[in-house]
Amino acid sequence: MSDLTEEQIRSALDSILERRNADTRLTTMGAGSDDLEAGRRYLANTVTDGWHVPTWPAQHGGRNASASQNALIGSVLREFIVPDLYPFAIGLGMVGPALLTHGNDSQQEEWLKAIASGTSIWCQMFSEPEAGSDLANVALQAKLDGDEWVIEGQKTWTSRAMWADWAICLARTDPAQPKHKGLTMFAMPMSIPGVEVRPLMQMNRDAHFSEVFVEEARLNDQWRIGDVGEGWRVAMTVLAHERAGGGSRGGGDGSTRGAHIPSWIKDLQALPTEQTAIWDDAVMGLYSHDAVSRWTTQRAADEARSSGSPGPAGSGAKLRTVKSYKGRAYLANQSSGAYGMLEDGHGYIELMTAPSMSIRGGTDEIQRNILGERVLGLPGEPRLDRDVPWKESRRGLI
Amino acid sequence: MSEISEVDPLITETADRLFSQICDHESVQNAEVTGEATEIWKAFAETGFPWISISEEFGGSGGTLLDALEVLRLVGYHAAPIPAAETGILGGWLLSSSGQQLPEGVVTVLPSGSENLLVARTGDRLTLTGRGLRVPWARTAEIIVVPVEVDDQTFVASVQPGDCQITPMTNMAGEPRDTVDFNEVEAFAAPVPSDVNLRSFRFRGALSRTALMAGAIEKMSQLTVSYTNDRVQFGRPVAKFQAVQQHLVWGAQDAALARMAAESAAREANRGSGAFEIAAAKLIANQAAARATKACHQAHGAMGMTQEYPLHHLSRRLWSWRKEYGGDAEWSEWLGRIAISQGADGLYPLITGGSGVLR
Repeated sequence: MSDLTEEQIRSALDSILERRNADTRLTTMGAGSDDLEAGRRYLANTVTDGWHVPTWPAQHGGRNASASQNALIGSVLREFIVPDLYPFAIGLGMVGPALLTHGNDSQQEEWLKAIASGTSIWCQMFSEPEAGSDLANVALQAKLDGDEWVIEGQKTWTSRAMWADWAICLARTDPAQPKHKGLTMFAMPMSIPGVEVRPLMQMNRDAHFSEVFVEEARLNDQWRIGDVGEGWRVAMTVLAHERAGGGSRGGGDGSTRGAHIPSWIKDLQALPTEQTAIWDDAVMGLYSHDAVSRWTTQRAADEARSSGSPGPAGSGAKLRTVKSYKGRAYLANQSSGAYGMLEDGHGYIELMTAPSMSIRGGTDEIQRNILGERVLGLPGEPRLDRDVPWKESRRGLI
Repeated sequence: MSEISEVDPLITETADRLFSQICDHESVQNAEVTGEATEIWKAFAETGFPWISISEEFGGSGGTLLDALEVLRLVGYHAAPIPAAETGILGGWLLSSSGQQLPEGVVTVLPSGSENLLVARTGDRLTLTGRGLRVPWARTAEIIVVPVEVDDQTFVASVQPGDCQITPMTNMAGEPRDTVDFNEVEAFAAPVPSDVNLRSFRFRGALSRTALMAGAIEKMSQLTVSYTNDRVQFGRPVAKFQAVQQHLVWGAQDAALARMAAESAAREANRGSGAFEIAAAKLIANQAAARATKACHQAHGAMGMTQEYPLHHLSRRLWSWRKEYGGDAEWSEWLGRIAISQGADGLYPLITGGSGVLR
């Protein structure tokens, strides 16, 4: 496909999508509605010409777009109403790109188009009760039995599990290997016998995270993604895409181009609070931080596109995005005065969600570690469990 | 009184033991869902704790304000879902100061007093019209106390909840903070001595929150230390990582700071003044709460965000309490004014001498 001009893209999108206006508001990831249909309609609408995942191959729901064409489409797409794609984000932003790197032809054929068109929802079964920041410590095991794998164990913080058709699931296939080496990645249908999903209630009243219990679930070997023992490498690809913010397109504030006041500032201005010089200063501080944050995220995304895989810049982008979100949540709460104490006060959901932003998708500490070691070249954390068989290191070495 | 008073250690021990028995994670969670904690209140009331510092003459339990604030600190520490401050050192104090007897059950107070009410007075009867916002536990109160300024005098009005329209509302921690509508409600009112007025009520409200907050921050810090020592990642407890230790230090510092400020405010208030210490303590507690909740949530990771783990009982209360009876702006401004009024040479004596300098 030859590159389109900005006007050509806009006019093509005009025929299938609605323009957004100044009233379009940010949605909070993971505390949104349970409406799957709006996202499904949007994806079904855009998949024919590959607008939502332009860099994917055309036969899999993309349009073979170059990095620069993709960036242009992304910026024009921000002028249109894109519903909250939270339910679809793992498939679109993380599993899809990882399958393009690690999946075989028949896996790409089977899964990618279904992801791009919104017909299948994916979740990510990585974290476990004993494997959070230390993700490579996963204990859920997969044992080969004939040409099937038998899966046994527990996952947690599995967002979207209750909607998911498929999970990308990190499993331990060889406990005698050191922890990073004995892992293998699988795709698991959520509907097979032995898989049970139990929602976890959060303090923001959201229950989009779940525990997933797996008891003797049997997986066909054709659902294995990458080689046996290569699970950590696949997981790293998935996580790098998560940090780089892939698939988070959608929602967003009503920003188009040129000078404008973001909707979050308009909302703050509408509060019956005295707006002092101190308040102005706080708002401007956040506004500038947001601008830098947006550019950093774009730079990280551009780098990822040109190099083919997201690098440590994604960690910097995540730290900044989180700081923006928390800054807005705290400022909105402070600005709403006594009213901000109430459950129905302005920004209640955002305030209750704010602390989780520095935790989900890799904590601030993990991101700073990545930056420290891979960007600044600082000495690494002591790795006590390197070269120690996982079955010995799993319970802790100190 | 010039001698330095101390908290009766028996109070600390007994209240701590009581709350440990009656306030577990489940009962606090349950109070949030149902909007009441009848069993916890009953057990608490049986000990006479709600009425410490109120004279026996008016149905109180006697004892000092220092003792009452120690109980409040433990209420905060255990996130006890009960109107302890409202019934005792706020509502009970106003009632007894005006010579009125305390009822047997829950008392609440209109946090803004008569500020947003229309008041008409005929002898010892007042007629109140208007709306009271964020009134703690109004739905279960036997009396709603309203400190009223009218005709250049302060009165304490006892309103029967049945005469008002009460709309249940909750704060961020799920504690009852109801809207109370007064539509020409008639109430008995009695005058109080000149040192009891809307201003001194505001300070006392702030004082009650500093005690609650000091307790909650301390518990939050302790929970965090114990969780991070149990939680193993990368082959060792996460508390062994410097990045996590820094969070623990923030939590512990803020717990110590808030408690020290609350105790010094309590001592001065117990001597009968303490405006400067109370203002400073509320500001310190507000700021410590913001820092400590961030640090403690971060050190807990995902577990701290779940309803099944008790951290949110404390963090959400702190986020609510830091705005009650004055947020950062109100107390910063008050302290700023006082500091400026002392002049450059008066600043150091003010910081070291506190309210003593202002008398």
